Amino acid sequence: MSLLDIKNLTLEIDIAGEWVKALDKINLVINEGQIHALVGESGSGKSLVIKAIVGAIPQRWRVTADRMTWRGQDLLTMSIKNRRKVIRSDISVIFQNPKSSLDPLLTLGEQLKEIVPEARLESRLFWRREKEREKIVMELLHRVGIKDHKLCMKSYPHQISNDVCQKFMIAMALVSEPKLIIADDPTRGMEVTAKSQILKLLSRVNQVRKLSVLFVSHDLLAISSMAHYMTVLYCGQTVESGDMLQLKKRALHPYTQALLDSAPSFRKDLPPKSPLSSLDGTIPTLQHLPIGCRLGPRCPRARRECVVVPAVRRVHQHYYSCHFPLHWDKK
Amino acid sequence: MTDLIHVEDLRFVNKKDSFNFFNKTKQFELGPINIDLKAGETLAIIGANGSGKSLLAKLLVGLEKPDSGQIYLHGEALTKSNQRQRCLNIRMIFQNSNESLNPGITLGSILDEPLRLNTTMSMLERAAKIEQTLVKVGLMPEHQFFYRHMLSDGQRQRVALARALILNPQVLVADEPFAALDPSVRSQIVNLLMNIQRELGLGFIFISHNLGIVRHISDKIIVMRHGKVIEAGRTEVIFNWPKEEYTKKLVHAHQALINRQNT
Repeated sequence: MSLLDIKNLTLEIDIAGEWVKALDKINLVINEGQIHALVGESGSGKSLVIKAIVGAIPQRWRVTADRMTWRGQDLLTMSIKNRRKVIRSDISVIFQNPKSSLDPLLTLGEQLKEIVPEARLESRLFWRREKEREKIVMELLHRVGIKDHKLCMKSYPHQISNDVCQKFMIAMALVSEPKLIIADDPTRGMEVTAKSQILKLLSRVNQVRKLSVLFVSHDLLAISSMAHYMTVLYCGQTVESGDMLQLKKRALHPYTQALLDSAPSFRKDLPPKSPLSSLDGTIPTLQHLPIGCRLGPRCPRARRECVVVPAVRRVHQHYYSCHFPLHWDKK
Repeated sequence: MTDLIHVEDLRFVNKKDSFNFFNKTKQFELGPINIDLKAGETLAIIGANGSGKSLLAKLLVGLEKPDSGQIYLHGEALTKSNQRQRCLNIRMIFQNSNESLNPGITLGSILDEPLRLNTTMSMLERAAKIEQTLVKVGLMPEHQFFYRHMLSDGQRQRVALARALILNPQVLVADEPFAALDPSVRSQIVNLLMNIQRELGLGFIFISHNLGIVRHISDKIIVMRHGKVIEAGRTEVIFNWPKEEYTKKLVHAHQALINRQNT
């Protein structure tokens, strides 16, 4: 059974009296025990999808969806109180910038102890409860690979380095024993060794505790080493989604192919200093979205038909939306 | 042929107390550092956060004063007396191109500043030069009337590059020029830098975490840790036969990421 099932999620933002579709018919299905990667460049609405899932969206924005369910419960029609309860116990989010999402005035230990859920404590006596909390926190910190837990718990967010901070955020996300962890660009700006540590940690958590992970990033190298399933976003539209290996071997959408080509590490035969292939132009801003397929103006294969939004098509478990997919002529 | 830039025994000691809990050193020592770079070559600096990479870049362009050691440009020592020459020949692209551009003035004025301060060009010459440089980095001449917030990330990076190139430097120092960019825009900028380097024969020194790109565009690499250069050499040599423990760890971590996808 799928944990999270989103169909045709549309988010509209009011910009100067005009409703702009920041997200346009996003589909996303996350199954149990799966690492799902959400790929897209900045401004493609990755963070908005996350915010829409956890409900951290301003009231004046319009969210509509054909279906948005969490283990069969509809998230959109649920009362705010219930929704909070569900999200508190089942979904944890690791936000983009670990340092700025921690409270600078409290030590890390205080922050982590505060969010230990009541249900995990057995005793009713407050001094014992405090002890229990400490024990849970200590185990968690050890599990995410922070060895010196005492020092870490005593220090303030500004005193610790970025990758320790990221590990701490993962510990914070694990404390409520969720079913799904959403990691928003957890490896941004990290050097390779720290990055691979974080990735290993997330995949271990996924394997040991059957936890689903929604991994949001634009670092394809990191993603393709651990994810099972990938969804590619461009400008608020789902461009392609499918099994990771299949997608990498045979991307059908020109944008996915361009993303894969842009990382020089993917191609071993590439001579050094040769020009990399890239798409022209940049990502359009929300005020100047093109009609139809939003990749249109940058797409090398665009034709006249591309002014109409392409419907989602399906080949086995591989969904794509493009009028003229790659590899099409060969079939 | 003498080297374009030659750095000898560069040292720097940061006297400020550090409040970092996880490394309790009160002092940060950089160096000794030796670098040789020929025209048209690319040097990449890699290392962990806080290993002094950005500090080295700042020392090279003269934003910080070294405690000892010398930097030679074309065999000529750089001292206070030829500060102007240094400003003309070694230019820097800063870490965060977004915040290093002044939001209050147009891009034209941003690009005009280095020309006004360092050259004796007339106003018309300067305007022509600005247009020419903007075109060179792939923007339009009209962009000089734009402000920072009107541009996208990739375009800002191009403006930062234009500001570095406008004085026709011989050495370009870039502090993480690709970190903030998205993949499709990043390859544009990489291509642009390589083209410009080929055209003008620039020496290019850059700092990056992205080993894929480092391997692709650099000729030489230096690996830094705790302010020391622990390994230096040609790119192929370092990636294929790393000697130091730390370099091995870095390269293997990178290789593991690549290999894991093929299984």
